[in-house]
Amino acid sequence: MAVSKLFPSTDWFGKLAASMEEDQKTYTQLGPMDCAMIVRVLDPERGERNFEVVFEALSVTSIREVEDYSAAISEHFVIQGSLETWKEMIENIHANDGPDLEHTLNYLTFPGDPMQVSGPDQLQVDAFYRYNQSIQKFFNAASEIETTYG
Amino acid sequence: MATYTPTVEIGLDRMRDMARGDFDLAWMDSNPAGWGHEVRRSKVGLNLTDVDRGFYGEVPEHGSSHGTMAPRGCHVPDGTISLDQYTLSEMSEIWADNAASLYDEAVVRQWNSVTDIPWDKLEKLPEDMEKAVCQMCTGLTEVEFVAGDMPAKWLCRINHDFHEVKLFLATQIMDEARHMDVFRKRALANGGGLLMASPGQEELLAAILNAPDYATASALMHIFGEGFVLTLFRQGEFLAPTEVEKKIFSLCMQDEARHVAYGVKHLKYLLERHPERESEIHSILEVGEQAIFSLTLEPQTSEPRAILAGGGLDNIELGMARMAFIYEKQVHEYLQRLKVAGIDRESSLSIPREIPFDELAA
Repeated sequence: MAVSKLFPSTDWFGKLAASMEEDQKTYTQLGPMDCAMIVRVLDPERGERNFEVVFEALSVTSIREVEDYSAAISEHFVIQGSLETWKEMIENIHANDGPDLEHTLNYLTFPGDPMQVSGPDQLQVDAFYRYNQSIQKFFNAASEIETTYG
Repeated sequence: MATYTPTVEIGLDRMRDMARGDFDLAWMDSNPAGWGHEVRRSKVGLNLTDVDRGFYGEVPEHGSSHGTMAPRGCHVPDGTISLDQYTLSEMSEIWADNAASLYDEAVVRQWNSVTDIPWDKLEKLPEDMEKAVCQMCTGLTEVEFVAGDMPAKWLCRINHDFHEVKLFLATQIMDEARHMDVFRKRALANGGGLLMASPGQEELLAAILNAPDYATASALMHIFGEGFVLTLFRQGEFLAPTEVEKKIFSLCMQDEARHVAYGVKHLKYLLERHPERESEIHSILEVGEQAIFSLTLEPQTSEPRAILAGGGLDNIELGMARMAFIYEKQVHEYLQRLKVAGIDRESSLSIPREIPFDELAA
């Protein structure tokens, strides 16, 4: 029986990282990536929460919750959205075994609404575009997780 | 016994020597400084950045003057003829610190339009939507290979001591071949076809191909042109009516972002060493800005995207309003990339930062 994981939490991202380890063949085909991603969740009850996920080659090397960007690795990009938006994206991935046309990371972030991508400089933001397929694949593993929210 | 040319006779003499056991073997000790090189493989395999370290990682500011294709780090015998091809022999003209890692990234992230696109998921679209997709693909087929032609024009001029850059540019040419190919395929694959070419695009393409030197051509193409196209690819993924276009644009987006990353780091490298060249860069960027502005407003460029954004020809105005932010986004990211490269163009930008669509509509 699948154990449910809370989003956002280091445990939840850890589950995605474990899935990445198990699917090295796909990630190898997609190509290695070296970057740090901060997932920023705006929760009306708990305020903003930031989770730093560091990718090195074909693996996640660290996951931690950070107070704010200043505590994060200096070279990073941020994907930000409300808890409600993240929930909708994750539920969509879960329901369809991957996002439908209107729930990919690029679709949700491109207009700047409902999600945003930012970074300390444009090259860091561009890393999100450069590794887009790998990052999307990383989140697609949410289809394997029973997720609760809060 | 047959007689041969002097060249062949010399070769035969040498073969006779070898047949008698008289070998030269000087090559075995020709490069003591380069022998015994130690390499540590990275987790994913053997990267260019793993082998080009130490002795082999020393990149000369001025490329070797022997003018040959001899690989950097080997011994070049006296008397080796120069090919007299390599006019780009200053490191600052072409170098970017990320060139080797981008090359490694590019070769691993190659894809193909034959089997990686889920062509079986193409769906019959309403005619206005199909025409919009086909026009968008016509424009991208037209524009994409400039980023192959431009590096190809300069590649044979780059000194072989800078193989990291040559290799990266070779991957870029392959990337652009794939883009030209995949957009043509999409235009022809679903019952539609190619539609109208873009005179506006040709202006920009001419400016890139006719740039007076590699550094200005690169600033115009890698940062300006490919930066703007990168946003169009993101938009293409956003507007994609089926999984087919979704996949095409998301894969192209990754490739384009690599090219932009090289361009930004190259310009940064150049300007840190030659700040006096900044005015040339500003001048070429202004040419690009003027070209892109007229291009942005060209019907065959803007209208198909508005149709896709609105969900059909009946909603083209709504679509135009929905996509009005694209231009502002392109300009913003362009200025931010220049900032990373060390150029402040905020005050000298020659085009508006945004198109006031609502005001114009009113």
